Amino acid sequence: MSDWTLCIDFGTAFSKAAAAPTGAWSRFEPASVRPLRLSQHDARGNAFLLDSAVFVDDGRILFGRSAIARADALGGKKRSALKSFKTLLSVSDLDRALNTNAPLSIDPHRLFQMRDLIVLYLAYLLAAIEKARALDPMIRGRITRRYAAPAWRGADSAGLHGTVVKLFGEAEAFRTQAGEALLSDAGLDIDAVVKALPIAMEGAQPLDMGLIYEATAAAAYTSIGLDDSASHLLVVDMGAGTTDIAALARIGNRMFELPEARATLKQAGDFIDRVIANRALDAAKWAKTTDQKAGLWAELMRGMRDTKETLFAEGRASVRYRDHIFTMGLRDVERDKDYQAFAKELKASYEHCVAVVRDDASARGRSAIEAVAVGGGAAAPFIQALIASKNTRGARPRVTPRPATPDWAHAAEFGGNLAPVFPQLAIAIGGALAPDSMLAARGTTSPVAGARTGSPATRD
Amino acid sequence: MPAKKKATKRQPKPASKKKKSAARKRAAPSLAGALAEAAWAEADQALAEALVESDEVESATSATQREAAVALMIQALSRAGRKRGLTRIGVLGAREPYDPAKHQLMAAVAKKPRTVRIAARGVARGGSILVLPRAGPVVRGRRKSGQ
Repeated sequence: MSDWTLCIDFGTAFSKAAAAPTGAWSRFEPASVRPLRLSQHDARGNAFLLDSAVFVDDGRILFGRSAIARADALGGKKRSALKSFKTLLSVSDLDRALNTNAPLSIDPHRLFQMRDLIVLYLAYLLAAIEKARALDPMIRGRITRRYAAPAWRGADSAGLHGTVVKLFGEAEAFRTQAGEALLSDAGLDIDAVVKALPIAMEGAQPLDMGLIYEATAAAAYTSIGLDDSASHLLVVDMGAGTTDIAALARIGNRMFELPEARATLKQAGDFIDRVIANRALDAAKWAKTTDQKAGLWAELMRGMRDTKETLFAEGRASVRYRDHIFTMGLRDVERDKDYQAFAKELKASYEHCVAVVRDDASARGRSAIEAVAVGGGAAAPFIQALIASKNTRGARPRVTPRPATPDWAHAAEFGGNLAPVFPQLAIAIGGALAPDSMLAARGTTSPVAGARTGSPATRD
Repeated sequence: MPAKKKATKRQPKPASKKKKSAARKRAAPSLAGALAEAAWAEADQALAEALVESDEVESATSATQREAAVALMIQALSRAGRKRGLTRIGVLGAREPYDPAKHQLMAAVAKKPRTVRIAARGVARGGSILVLPRAGPVVRGRRKSGQ
């Protein structure tokens, strides 16, 4: 029996981690939730977010913010950092993808396969976790680890669990050798890595970690401490690469997923970014040459997080580029044909999931369903409108929307400081709080999702 | 005699225990503080942008330029507020029953108004109100005054 549970949210843009005392689910105290300061070693930016990036430089390998800064500095030289590992981990033939050589723009020396770079990043992440954990005097004793992943294409995430814990195991072996040098701004010497990495990987054992679906983690933090929470919860998770809808049912202490109410759309945050940038480009009549358009596109993408946040919060956003200022509204985005197709598909998928959940809730004699939006797109007005919509296919049981940030995140213990950053840390926090019964896979064992639901999890 | 009294006053153990726990608290890195710092790191960037835009407002040579710079300045300020968890209270232009605990009256009035119109939204953070919404009395005097 461990004293603490630590959950890693291996995000597309940032990785996050949080810990909670084992059993916190049933004896919840807000102060026991401990998000980890993974970037404490780096003074730039938010201490709780670790940039998911690796950059292979001339003689060094850089990680996190240093990797991004260096890649930006060399932007004109067709060099890029390896990012979005999470998207890579979603491919159907993962082993093949891992054994592919990294593209020339990422590894000009032709030294590394994708697997090597992912292992190196995970080693960096584990080093950051170790340092952050030591910083928090509350986290002491035995720690159980788990990671959060979306339920990509049916049960694939659980199916990939063995590969992921193997990668983490190799990363842990390398971290033990490299130590805190991994966290240095200067990164690691390439020659030293080339020598040490294969040795570390060869003797590595899979890391003992559980897997929790992101939707389940969202359910864990949404319904915790609520005596009146509904038995069924719909989760709409709009991340960077995919928009996932999942449904969970809680009967007594058991929580299980309804596989028929699972949907994944290929359009998500990155797609919305492109729609916004394209609309802005269309509006910028002054940008005529390819260079002007490329410059504007790059600038828009650099500031997209802020632009999108403002657009979602205020309904309009202005952007300054050199001596040009232009303003766009949500309506401009909604006029886009691709967006309209996405919105239609999302609505149809959501309505299908609601129907499945309603059927299940009715069959079990339950009368309440809740819906929550999570992920980077949770604040998008169209996502909020979706979970608040009065569904057209039947009306009972009613679906009640829940806020993206739960009430307990406003607890006095946090002095008003958790709520503003909660959406970013939510999955890691929910994953740490969730009891073992909510896991999709435990330790290094095979998936338990099917066993949990009482019926085998289906693949799409 | 007085010295003896002093000595007994210094004796109680609970006081020293209190001191120890306070010292421990000071030594422990505060999670709330770290969270605040994280929020500030992002809010600082937005505030910096607002300051730069304020210069653009000053140096604008046309009304259009000034208007655009003001919009960008407000946008950056709003973003800074959101990063710090500030939320707005009330709806601009909304009419509400006057409540001195919920509204700050803009004009000096002889008689407490029954209804007010929100002229500027207030600001809250978590459960605390930082600035009350500013409101003006709703004059329903046209018929009364016979104008």
